[in-house]
Amino acid sequence: MSVSLSAALLEAIHAYGARAYPEEGAGLLLGAFEGDDRHVTRLVPLDNRFRPESRTRRYLISPRDLLSAEDEAERLGLEVVGVFHSHPDHPARASEFDTQWALPVYSYVITQVQAGVAVESRSWRLAEDRGMMTEELLQVSNTPDAEEA
Amino acid sequence: MTTIRIPTPLRPYTGGSKEVDVTGGTVGAALVDLSARFPDVRRHLFDDAGGLRPYVNVFLNDEDIRTLQAEATPLQSSDRLMIVPSIAGGAAEPQGVPVDHAALRANQASIILLLVAAFILNATWLVAVVALVMLTGTALGRPGFLWVYLLLRRIGLVKPDVLRDHPQPHRFAQGLGGAFLVAALVAAWLGVPWLSWGLVWLVIALAAVNLFAGFCVGCALYYWLHRLGLPGFRVGPLPSTFPGQRPGNDR
Repeated sequence: MSVSLSAALLEAIHAYGARAYPEEGAGLLLGAFEGDDRHVTRLVPLDNRFRPESRTRRYLISPRDLLSAEDEAERLGLEVVGVFHSHPDHPARASEFDTQWALPVYSYVITQVQAGVAVESRSWRLAEDRGMMTEELLQVSNTPDAEEA
Repeated sequence: MTTIRIPTPLRPYTGGSKEVDVTGGTVGAALVDLSARFPDVRRHLFDDAGGLRPYVNVFLNDEDIRTLQAEATPLQSSDRLMIVPSIAGGAAEPQGVPVDHAALRANQASIILLLVAAFILNATWLVAVVALVMLTGTALGRPGFLWVYLLLRRIGLVKPDVLRDHPQPHRFAQGLGGAFLVAALVAAWLGVPWLSWGLVWLVIALAAVNLFAGFCVGCALYYWLHRLGLPGFRVGPLPSTFPGQRPGNDR
């Protein structure tokens, strides 16, 4: 159980989280399902649609945004394989709220942004019984993918 | 027959199908029929109380059913339903309140220094002074030797170290230390010096464990009493922090 992406993409996820600080920044991970692993080759950064006053602790990707990202993925021969979002001044650990809202199958990459600086990213997946999110291996490669955004 | 479009993350539960034909006179009935055909999909659509999970959006011919009659919206056979999740999440709400751990450490250091001095000088009166300061601090809900900290901070020797934490266990721990010292004074008055100084050294040891190892035994005791449901012990340990351990504040 792992999610792999290039160092450049992880860098872009970190930059997006830092830019959104002190709010949470989120987007979708496009790529391919490879058995129980996911390989991310493209990011779709999206607006945080949660109520403005709660965006420092919450993010929301609207169904319309998801549909257009799915269309884009289809055009590129990819699939939506997961979600990335930042936790401002909070660890890169899936919270109870993350678990309640999590969908199966997707990989959830969470980035801790401390005082505006991205510290670390960890990836999580919803357990089959919805009881918790379990951490999966986040594999970062130094070889960039040709189709990277 | 109505066709429902299944979102990607739920397709493994519908045998990989992107679209599924279901029957039912209303949107709610169609969703129930879907879960009857594919039981594994149910827990991702409905919560334990049988309501739709908050992230489940259902569109009837591109219109959100919340703007129609929700799950009671009637269906025609040519209708097309689409389940599209909202994706949401976010960090846990911060727990506890700002607690200056530098002030707590200055308190522990003062207690240790004065009690060791009391032992060396065989000065029971100094033990009484420390006990009084600790119990007064407990009554006021602050470190007894707060003034030492404020002085050290003013001359630039210490910096604040504010962490989100529960202040109640620290107050309890200080009160417990004060109570041990009172017991030590009683033992001295009864003429049992080994017990008296033993209790003093116990307080020194507990303060030292807190100061040097970041573990507050009194706080751990508070959290255990909280777990047992003792009245007055209202707050439980911070998430992912071992009871009594200094909060890493999210690390």
